[in-house]
Amino acid sequence: MTDSAAQARVDQALVARVLLADDRRAFEQLLRRYQGLVRAQLRRLLKGDHARADDLAQETFLLAWRKLDQFRGDSRFSTWLHRIAYTCFLQARRKQSWVADHNDGDDETGEQAAGQPAMDLHLDIERAMQRLSGAEQMVLLHCVQLGMSHSETSYVLAMPLGTVKTHATQGKAKLRALLADWQDAGRKEQAS
Amino acid sequence: MSEPENDAVEALLREGFEGPVPDEGFCDDVMQRLPPRRRRHVWPLAAGLAAGAVVCWLSLQSVPLVRTGWRDWLSGQISAPALTLLLVMAGISLLALAWTVAEADDRRSESRQ
Repeated sequence: MTDSAAQARVDQALVARVLLADDRRAFEQLLRRYQGLVRAQLRRLLKGDHARADDLAQETFLLAWRKLDQFRGDSRFSTWLHRIAYTCFLQARRKQSWVADHNDGDDETGEQAAGQPAMDLHLDIERAMQRLSGAEQMVLLHCVQLGMSHSETSYVLAMPLGTVKTHATQGKAKLRALLADWQDAGRKEQAS
Repeated sequence: MSEPENDAVEALLREGFEGPVPDEGFCDDVMQRLPPRRRRHVWPLAAGLAAGAVVCWLSLQSVPLVRTGWRDWLSGQISAPALTLLLVMAGISLLALAWTVAEADDRRSESRQ
């Protein structure tokens, strides 16, 4: 049995304990297993707004607690949680116009920084990601950084599988061009 | 894009990802805010079924065919009204069975997807 299959069985057992025995400790175990990645996902989606991300993560787990009987086990529990988190993010974005304000700010810093030499890999990746379309950013975050499969990403983002694959390919091609210097440096390090 | 180039971009992206966020009291906060779980009550369904059965019986009680059929059935006579009543009940039971099987099949195929 693979690790992910074993994890899925543990998750199913914990969910069953919550539903059948109203076991809060079982839910706490699920919470401790997945809070880190759900909060990381939301921090990325909210472009580093940690406080807001944690508020949404809290909302995500409270919703998961209330709707746990709707988890049928047809996806991994973590994927189900990421989908709830993404839905919370979309609802919050609809309620507030913070994204527009945030993007305006990002554009300014991008212009200011455009002439400066690249000093840091993280900063460069951030800048490169910001040049991708919103959909490409979402797909690469889930597919590559959060380690989901294309079909899991399709489930979380409620996006057709073919569209996910297209955005992943296009996003990576754009990033390759934008991060060419870092890749060359990496190859030289490996060669030397 | 070739496979090594693909891998290189993915490696850079993973390197730029901070990974899971440390707990720092987050779980305790969430656990304190969890509301009590709402239990699903069975009594509304049972009460609805009972009320439906009573209303059905009251409305059919005045129909001569049903009354005669019921009386014959209780006295063990296999008359035409008793047979009609039996066939109607068997038909309703079969419909309910078919509906239950179809629902169960739907749920099974949904869980396989």
